[in-house]
Amino acid sequence: MRAAIEAFDTGASVGVVSKLHPTRSHSGAAEGGINAALGNSAEDSPEQHAFDTVKGSDYLGDQDAIEILAQEAPGDIYQLEHWGCVFSRDDQGRLAQRPFGAAGSPRTVYSADITGHVLIHVLYEQVMKRMEQGGMTVHEEYFAWRLAVEDGRCVGVVCWDLLEGGLELVVGKSVVLATGGMGRIYRATTNAYACNGDGMAIALHAGLPLKDMEFMQFHPTTLYPSGVLITEGCRGEGGYLINRDGERFMARYAPKALELASRDVVSRSETTEIEAGRGVNGSVLLDLRHLGAERVLTRLPGSRELAMTFAGVDPIYDPIPVRPGAHYHMGGVETDNWGATELPGLYAAGEVACVSVHGANRLGGNSLMETITFGRRAGQAAAEAALADVGQHEVSGEELAKAERGLETLLARNEGERPWKIRDELGASMLENYGVFRYPERMERQLEVIAGLRERYERVVVEDKGSVFNTDLTQAIELGYMLDLAWCMVQAGLAREESRGAHSRPSDFPERDDERFLKHSITRWTDEGPELSYEEVRMTKWQPEVRTY
Amino acid sequence: MRHVAYYKGCLASLSAKELDIATQALAPKVGLELEELEAVTCCGAGDIHEAEPDYYLHLNARILAYAEATGADTLMTVCNVCTLNLRQANHALKGDEALLGRVNANLVSVGAPAYSGGVEVMHFLWLVAAGEGYELLKEAAHKGLKGLKVAPFYGCQILRPSKLLGFEDPDRPESLERIIDACGGEAIDYPAKIKCCGFPIIQAREDVALAELIQPIEQAKEAGADLMVTPCPLCHLSLDAWQSKLRKQTGRDFQMPILHLSQLIGVAAGLSDSELRFKRHVVSVAPVTEKLAV
Amino acid sequence: MKVALKIWRYDAVAGERALREYEVDAPEEATLLDCLDLVKDRVDGTLAYRKSCRMMICGSCGMRMDGAAVLACKTRMYEIAESGHVPVISAMGNLPIVKDLVVDMEPFWRKIRAVTPWLEPGYSDPGERENVVSREEMAAIHKESLCIMCGCCVSECNSMEADPDFLGPAALAKGMRFVGDARDQARVERLQAYSEPHGIWDCTRCYFCQERCPKGVDPRDAIAKLGAEAMKEGIDSDLGAKHAKWFVTSAKTTGWLRETELVPKTQGVVRSLKEIGFAMNLLRHGKVPPPIPPHVAKHVGEARALYDLVKHEGREGAQGIVQVEKPLSRLEHGESGYEEAAARGPYGPGSFARPFLPDENETEEEAGT
Repeated sequence: MRAAIEAFDTGASVGVVSKLHPTRSHSGAAEGGINAALGNSAEDSPEQHAFDTVKGSDYLGDQDAIEILAQEAPGDIYQLEHWGCVFSRDDQGRLAQRPFGAAGSPRTVYSADITGHVLIHVLYEQVMKRMEQGGMTVHEEYFAWRLAVEDGRCVGVVCWDLLEGGLELVVGKSVVLATGGMGRIYRATTNAYACNGDGMAIALHAGLPLKDMEFMQFHPTTLYPSGVLITEGCRGEGGYLINRDGERFMARYAPKALELASRDVVSRSETTEIEAGRGVNGSVLLDLRHLGAERVLTRLPGSRELAMTFAGVDPIYDPIPVRPGAHYHMGGVETDNWGATELPGLYAAGEVACVSVHGANRLGGNSLMETITFGRRAGQAAAEAALADVGQHEVSGEELAKAERGLETLLARNEGERPWKIRDELGASMLENYGVFRYPERMERQLEVIAGLRERYERVVVEDKGSVFNTDLTQAIELGYMLDLAWCMVQAGLAREESRGAHSRPSDFPERDDERFLKHSITRWTDEGPELSYEEVRMTKWQPEVRTY
Repeated sequence: MRHVAYYKGCLASLSAKELDIATQALAPKVGLELEELEAVTCCGAGDIHEAEPDYYLHLNARILAYAEATGADTLMTVCNVCTLNLRQANHALKGDEALLGRVNANLVSVGAPAYSGGVEVMHFLWLVAAGEGYELLKEAAHKGLKGLKVAPFYGCQILRPSKLLGFEDPDRPESLERIIDACGGEAIDYPAKIKCCGFPIIQAREDVALAELIQPIEQAKEAGADLMVTPCPLCHLSLDAWQSKLRKQTGRDFQMPILHLSQLIGVAAGLSDSELRFKRHVVSVAPVTEKLAV
Repeated sequence: MKVALKIWRYDAVAGERALREYEVDAPEEATLLDCLDLVKDRVDGTLAYRKSCRMMICGSCGMRMDGAAVLACKTRMYEIAESGHVPVISAMGNLPIVKDLVVDMEPFWRKIRAVTPWLEPGYSDPGERENVVSREEMAAIHKESLCIMCGCCVSECNSMEADPDFLGPAALAKGMRFVGDARDQARVERLQAYSEPHGIWDCTRCYFCQERCPKGVDPRDAIAKLGAEAMKEGIDSDLGAKHAKWFVTSAKTTGWLRETELVPKTQGVVRSLKEIGFAMNLLRHGKVPPPIPPHVAKHVGEARALYDLVKHEGREGAQGIVQVEKPLSRLEHGESGYEEAAARGPYGPGSFARPFLPDENETEEEAGT
């Protein structure tokens, strides 16, 4: 939505295509906050923010992009506030900022623990305002099927209209992908059902390169068994992580930062504790009791409600059982600092893209900021390119016809397997074989599993043959996307012979190897499957150092 | 005998005087000693709550203060709206010391007593639907209703918002059914029994209110009810007095007698005509009294 | 556990409705949404419903269970299944059904758009930094900003059922989110717009919206706040506003509601004359108390004095509406439960161990890993 707003404000007419109504997007579930070096809470600077991000990325982040993020973040936050975003305030009435993981200074702007919610609503308010003005249309419940590429440029998206049925080609001089991540590849994930990597998959199949696919962040505090997110903000407000004995074990893994170490460090620490038998029921415990009822009720009411509803625990009196869950994908469609991909007419921003701002691991609070800052930049760039392109382009029905044929084949099948089994097996096997800790034999095994699942997917059956609201169809397509993306992930992970950020190989390559692997992986799709190559990391100020918290 | 402070509210004092008369006659039979509060005002309904919220708070605090001053621990109401209003104010005051302090300072300065949070607000319905009240009711209802089919109409503000009222499940309430049962009647079930009668907008938006009002009456009629009973005099006014408007608008003459809760129990307990005052009803209650006389 | 559900299926193409029963085997922690997924995956792939976050924040999965709107992802099924009750699942009310449990949300969004749901800051140049707004000022719209636009309130609105053009609780609560926002400069215009027919004064005060809202927005209170703000600005020509004003006048003059005069005071003399027939009928039954002599409450002078005092204190408009969250959270734990827990402290007997740092404990193993 941020891209759409910027594109409109730059003067272009905009169509927002979304398989969900815009306010249902998973960004709305973000909780803890959004980072910017405002300096309201303590001394801070964009330089400090950038460094924290570079270090957090385990030196794989592209530093020019990171510097842009850190520099432009404050202005973007102020813009949101001026649009009316309901942020929490400090005693002086200025935007409040809380401490967050791996941040040198408290710079996470927040709204209690529903930051994503207030952001998504202020953006939709601004979208509605522009809808009223004319020139901004929202095609909601339009499922992205494939990118339409003609004459070496992206001319639109073939979509399935969920409300009425039927494939339709939505045409545009520029297309911005902002389709989010793919947590649903894992059975234990904070992500919504909708997060299946749609944009990444259609870009992949349109020939675009995906960058850093092997890096999946596991958020340390997700509820069991649902995987629902309990915000890092709980630790930001002072919550403790304790094991079966009540010990604050993070002191042994991150002596300085403790619970507020970088997420990959915390997830690994938790997994180690659990595997050593010091967990409770396969989880560790997030303890908020010492914060007191008042603090929990004012700053963390959402988390409390989630804990009570989904785990039956009231954090005012009892610690919450949490464990790592797949949360954020650092990799994605490769873009430059303006969100442009190598395909003319195609842009990308947010979790679907990889600029890369997060490298091998993302800091909490940076993802929301990325969607805003790079969403804006991509929107602007896409609009400028579209406005500069004054010619009329003939768009053939080729792509649409291709899609129709694929659809027909799929719907015609009545014998075969229902998608859920394949989906469940993918989710469980990915968690088992490509989770927080990665082992070579398991990764190899996973490639075999995925191959088997892809084969079974060739015979998947869609039971609902109707046109109206056919989510049986779209869910089957989403599964296809996830299988292909999972293959890319594991292959890239097996090839990266080091431990960096969220990619941890304790048995064979436990250390970071800057000599061989201070580079981004690039995955392209071929007829034989994903093919890997590598690219340099763009460094400006900082050289890799030992990374401890 | 349980000593309770009794707040009758505006309608029971005036246009629904029959409710007050029946309640006062019935009370001793169900173990209630009513001490009528005199130095009180209208609770404000949803109207003062909306128009002058701070004034609404003070008016209700004053009622609570005077109730507390009687020494009773319970303030009994006979109207849904009064119940919600007083309970809402009570929760706000009991939960916030600073607020209570400010309001008390104002009360005292005008000569009213201060309130220390010692009163619980209970609708008469709640006092007789369970516990000792219910036992005494069963005994008192000796004359019985002879199997009359009674359709209970709860009225919104005795059920919702349940976090302020909380006596029973707002979607599956049973208090009226229990009472009808104890009185020897047959409770009729129908979907609209927990919906809105439309009274709050019956003046400002009559068409909308009538479209709401017709639902419970129509459904009760179709389910074979002989009469309807309600614990709220405002619902009673719309169900009873506005039936003629329904007739005018739709041509349908429901002739559905509407009783106040106290009257229903009163009939079963053998109250006299002068204690029941059915003549004050717009829709004749004669079909009911005739059935019972047989 | 075995979960049985009855679902109202609706085929839009054929226009047919049918109640179908399903049974699935679900884990104990399953929600209604989990059960629907099991039905769709393993029993009937044509079942249509919306879902996304499964954590009560996106607002997709609003639907009715036994006639009352809920979020499917929030509704745990354990107790229902254990009790043997088979709930009836249907689409939300007051909105057209697209298929099965999917409603057409366009009428909902149209009403949201009708309240100008974006900030009107009154400037186009945002300036260097953020607007300074105090916590208290932001707290004024805290509840309204919780709204996830799920539609549960709209589904149950009794007024909207009788009048489909009513703006409804979600739109009006969204309106209050802006009216109460200290940064918005269009307050008065908004209040005038919302006071039009099918707005604030059409709310029937059934409190269904407040009861159904899964996020605690309390839309009815938001509508009351709008009414308070409108009347504070003198936007009070609607019959509903006049009706309310007479209550205030009554309270500060006679203490009790001056019922008989309520009709002409609300509707004006001319319209009241048209009601003469109706009024005469009521009069015959004693339902029209004579306005003279007025029924005056004892010590009514206190009520009069209170009015002046309150006016003087100036807690005008929406500020006066106390939203009872703090006391209610006490209610949740039970009055005694809350005090009890506070008294014994969070680490008292029966609670989980008090947390400690590794080096605090002498017997602890040396820093490992």
